Amino acid sequence: MIEAEKLVKSFKGVRRVDEVSLHVKKGEIFGLLGPNAAGKTTVIRMLCGIMEADNGSVRINNTSVQNAKKDFGYVAQYFGQYAELTVFENLKFYAEMYGVRDEKRLEALIERYQLSAFRDSEAGALSGGYKRRLALVCALAHDPKVLFLDEPTAGIDPVTRKLLWDDFYALSAEGKTLFVTTHYMEEAARCHQLAFIAEGKMIAQGTPSSIKSALGDVLVYSVKISYTPEMTKAIDGVDGVVLTNQFGDDLHIVTEKQVDKRVLEEVMGSVYGEEITLSESEPDLEDVFIALTQGGRK
Amino acid sequence: MIMAIVKKELLQLRRDPRLMGLIIVMPLVLMILFAVALKLEPNNVKMAYLDEDRSFFSDLIKTGLWSDGYFEMYEVKTEADIIEEIRSGRAKSGMHISKDFSALLTENQQPHITLYVDGTMPSLTTAMKYNSSAATDEGVTNDMYFLDEDAPNTVIAEAPFVMDTEILFNPDEKETWFFLPGVIGVLIMQIALILTGITIVREREQHTLEQLFVTPISKFSFIIGKLLPYVVITLIDFYVILGVGWLLFDLPQPSSHLLLFALAFVYVAVMISLGLFISLISQTQQQAMFVAIFIIVPSILLSGFIFPIEAIPASVRVISYLLPFTYFVEIIRGLLIKQTLLVDLLPAYGALMAFVVVFVSASVMKFKRSL
Repeated sequence: MIEAEKLVKSFKGVRRVDEVSLHVKKGEIFGLLGPNAAGKTTVIRMLCGIMEADNGSVRINNTSVQNAKKDFGYVAQYFGQYAELTVFENLKFYAEMYGVRDEKRLEALIERYQLSAFRDSEAGALSGGYKRRLALVCALAHDPKVLFLDEPTAGIDPVTRKLLWDDFYALSAEGKTLFVTTHYMEEAARCHQLAFIAEGKMIAQGTPSSIKSALGDVLVYSVKISYTPEMTKAIDGVDGVVLTNQFGDDLHIVTEKQVDKRVLEEVMGSVYGEEITLSESEPDLEDVFIALTQGGRK
Repeated sequence: MIMAIVKKELLQLRRDPRLMGLIIVMPLVLMILFAVALKLEPNNVKMAYLDEDRSFFSDLIKTGLWSDGYFEMYEVKTEADIIEEIRSGRAKSGMHISKDFSALLTENQQPHITLYVDGTMPSLTTAMKYNSSAATDEGVTNDMYFLDEDAPNTVIAEAPFVMDTEILFNPDEKETWFFLPGVIGVLIMQIALILTGITIVREREQHTLEQLFVTPISKFSFIIGKLLPYVVITLIDFYVILGVGWLLFDLPQPSSHLLLFALAFVYVAVMISLGLFISLISQTQQQAMFVAIFIIVPSILLSGFIFPIEAIPASVRVISYLLPFTYFVEIIRGLLIKQTLLVDLLPAYGALMAFVVVFVSASVMKFKRSL
């Protein structure tokens, strides 16, 4: 459904997107994962035709982006609707941009996204969550085959986020293809396919579970321990340690396979003053994300 | 705490190099420009003259006027031609020396010369009255006394001849007639430039432009759609302002309502398309405002609206002719006050239309679909 080949984009002589290729199948929820400033928004803008690539090509639904405009909708990272217009006026405007005049359909969309109570409220007065819903509704006004969503749930409360994701699944089940950029792990984990970019380069691609193997042969140890900078420094000093990652009182240590668990335990024990026992676990997406991002920066 | 805010404001200003440029460059450019350009005394005022006397004496007068550089003189065939030349705008003044001038002069009968002045230009009339005194300077008139002062029973006129000044089109020198027609143009310029100047920048700042770029709308449709409402609003404004002039300030009716509408339409189109271009080259609403002011202020001062264009040095006068408002002033004075014929206004109409073409094309070129 979306075919991007070797996209390149530079700003002021610096390559922000470096030969990124993507292949997204129909009905798939495809997540573009990466840290801030990795080039996610630049990629999505090139895919939508808002920005021209310096090099490379994009095809949507087997045609050029310019010809496929009626086939896709776009929800920008920022609220891009008209604050002075009401919810319905905004929706009607975007629908008319695509030649859609079926008001019944628009009313149904408003109902589906629980915007009925705000139908005649000015869009600028909506809360963050409802603004997102309005943006989504406007992007769906012309019933597109593909939906591009640039960080659709950034700054949204978990309940609304879940509602939006339930809907993304529903849209996907209806046969729509969704392309989502995010840096939220739990959101990435919900995607069918993931692509990971850092510093404009594609680092890994695959399903959320397969992408974990992008770290290669690693082991993850965890232990219940409070954060101290001394401890982190000591662990990072051990040869073969890829990453330390603290989750509250839970410390994850990602190491290469040949690292001896006992050596690690000894080093940590000497800093802690008590004996430490590490337990083995699987790397989660966040471990992968941070490890890959740091790798990208090296 | 106040200082912290002051510092923050200064830092923000410094990070907007375009705005900083405008803040520094604009006053400098305008100050120098106006210092050079703004003079009350006109030079090389075009004068259509008819010399029926064609004598040594009439030549003396012409030379007197010519040599001071105030007037650039050319000859016409009839007295009516003088007025027509001024009505058309080709001349701003005229002079008629009648056939019997030297005969009356030699008989010490104090002949009259008629000087015509375009009464639609405010400071021009005053300056003209003053400058035409070159014709009555001693150097000119010394040779024009013919009777022996000491001879008995002879009364010598104080001056050998009299210069009558006839102010055309606005004989009572009504100030509302001088200024009101131009004021309409200034107001429309402000409304149009500021309304449209921010229209695209605003969409950019509010991120709605990005959302619009994804839709299938073409460049052309987008621009037309953006401009049409402002064209209509500004046209209505034009007639509201004009209506106030007619009702309350005794502004005359135009020679042709159709031509007046044509002027309103093409002038509004110029200003709206210029506003659009400003909006496209500006990154923020503040910048757009500054650029608009950068155009409005010289328009008021260099267009002939307040100061005669003839008073502006030729090198700076180029700028006058690059300002659409200059042509508006010429046409509206022609239509409302001078009853100028269409054929004489055509070049000015043409200039305004050319501006529309230039600004619209520049806008379309500047307007990229990509951000």
